[in-house]
Amino acid sequence: MHSSDSLEAQIKRIIVEALALEDMQPEDIETDAPLFVEGLGLDSIDALELAMALEESYGVAIEDDPEQNQRIFASVKSLAEFVRAHRAVGDESA
Amino acid sequence: MIALSQLFRAAPPGRTVAFGREGVRDADALRDDVAALAALLEPFAEGRLLLHSEDAYAFAVGLLAAAQVGARVVLPPSRQPGALEALASEVTGVLLDSTPTSDTFLGRPCWHPLAAPRARRPLVALDRESPLVELFTSGTTGAGKPVAKAVRHLEDEVAVLEECFGALLGGGTRILATSSPQHLYGLLFRIVWPLSAGRPLLRSPLLHAEELAPHLGVESPFALVSTPIALRHLAEKEELAPFAPWCRAVFSSGGPLPAPIARRVAEALGAAPFEVYGATETGGVALRQQQRGGEPWRPLPRVEVARDAESGCLVVASPFASTGEALPGGRARCTLGDLVAFDEGGFRLLGRADRVVKIGEKRLSLPAMEERLATHPAVADAALVALDTGGDARVGAVVVPTEIGREQVVASGRRGLARSLSAHLAPDFDRVLLPRAWRLVDALPRDAQGKLPNERLLAFFAETSPAPRAPEPIAVRRGARELEARLRIPEDLAFLEGHFPGHPIVAGVVQLHFAMRALEELLGAAPRLAALEVLKFHELLLPGQEVRLRVELDAGGERFAFSLADAGRPERVFATARGALRRNP
Repeated sequence: MHSSDSLEAQIKRIIVEALALEDMQPEDIETDAPLFVEGLGLDSIDALELAMALEESYGVAIEDDPEQNQRIFASVKSLAEFVRAHRAVGDESA
Repeated sequence: MIALSQLFRAAPPGRTVAFGREGVRDADALRDDVAALAALLEPFAEGRLLLHSEDAYAFAVGLLAAAQVGARVVLPPSRQPGALEALASEVTGVLLDSTPTSDTFLGRPCWHPLAAPRARRPLVALDRESPLVELFTSGTTGAGKPVAKAVRHLEDEVAVLEECFGALLGGGTRILATSSPQHLYGLLFRIVWPLSAGRPLLRSPLLHAEELAPHLGVESPFALVSTPIALRHLAEKEELAPFAPWCRAVFSSGGPLPAPIARRVAEALGAAPFEVYGATETGGVALRQQQRGGEPWRPLPRVEVARDAESGCLVVASPFASTGEALPGGRARCTLGDLVAFDEGGFRLLGRADRVVKIGEKRLSLPAMEERLATHPAVADAALVALDTGGDARVGAVVVPTEIGREQVVASGRRGLARSLSAHLAPDFDRVLLPRAWRLVDALPRDAQGKLPNERLLAFFAETSPAPRAPEPIAVRRGARELEARLRIPEDLAFLEGHFPGHPIVAGVVQLHFAMRALEELLGAAPRLAALEVLKFHELLLPGQEVRLRVELDAGGERFAFSLADAGRPERVFATARGALRRNP
């Protein structure tokens, strides 16, 4: 991962790679667009995969709280906000 | 009817056994040919012999001669080199009707079944219990498993077939077959049953309706032994009509026969096909004849069926079954991989158990989704497969697009087509069940039996996604009333012009799609075309080309101009158009 990438760009790449999305480039994902159902069309299994991938990359733990997760997983933007707020202490790059 | 084991006891002399362009053979010739080959095979008694023959008569001679010396016949499912090589090392000799200019095949002694020097080995009755053939399952998963059959398995099953159909067929009825005797259905219906019942069999496989005429030049009754895939082709042929009065019965096995095809066959040949359901392990299990469509299966005499409570699969107890748990009276009980439901004194098949996948606690019947997918106008044919992604399984879709589908791919890429197909499925299927990977192909890779092995479908997904098929924008410049884009036409648009293999061109209708997309971009809404006034295609547009696309609107936003030219040489123009748009309401 290039450290010069914005966190949003990194998360887009994680989404495409972790979920093996075909015919999609990270740039195709709009930062503000909904990720689930009507937007990118991700589903509940993708949410689990994505949570694991974010945990691995940023050391953020995403709890099993449907209401909160609906907000966190709304868009790339909301995911990035969550990661910024919760990422493991000591990693302030990006 | 003479049992297979007693075939050379009582066959009346002079009766025709086999006919076709390879020549006519009667019961005496069969006796001579079997005795001669048996003399040659004497040293291989107790051995295993590989047999493959397109000529059903040569096949019968090979089978019967091997049985005479007590050798077991191994039937490779196809003539493909891989299939033969894999088995050659496990046999002591090879019988082939095609090659043998050389007398060895892959290091084993090899003969043509009909080329044995004249000699006579006295013909004997066969031991009902002795193993006769080894066949291979044509399963949908993995490589075929060997299944051994004793003489009695075959002779008892054809006795039941004669009990069911003997009166309908009548004596002397010619048996024409499209099915290979390398599989159990063809072995029984094309070889063992006709030989036992004294019905002449057509030697070469009947592959086209046109071939019927020469074989049926004489007005005599016949029956057709076929498969759904062959019947689909035959049923469309008008050439069949003159033979309809002579058709006594049509048999179909090897997969479900779609009801519309069953009806078409009934119209064309005057005989609604009898479908035979069975498996290599169990032999024939049940019969049905579709009238309205979807009639339940009724078990064959002497066959018992039940539903396994745990798996929901069909359990068969039958004297024709040669694998599974042994039961008294020479029967065996075997659980098949087909899901079943019982009703109206029969049963219905609900699809392969391995075609039901569980994804995120939800069950999906792949055939049900395939059926739904096939109702979309962009889909000519489709097959689904469960993909192992490490975590939950995901569905992969292999789609043969129609012309409409191809145009959509050009206009919006594979992803665009995948999106509209997903939207088509979404009302009926949970989101997690929707296909995640899509492959577009010219044809589904069915095997000779019309089956679609899982591994052939999985092969499409072995590599990650090929390049997108939509034109790739390199740069876009837009003003208030004009838009100019540099695009690259990807090479795999070649796929879109299946009509001209090796000479892919981008169809005019596709170029017009580009124009509509650009107008949509400019207007922020789908353009409503009122009139297309001047449309010209000046030069052929080939994949790989970089183009400059330009659309321009007049001040009122009512008229537009479109051009598509070589990005490097603007004077080289591919297409131009002018037209009028309808105002949005």
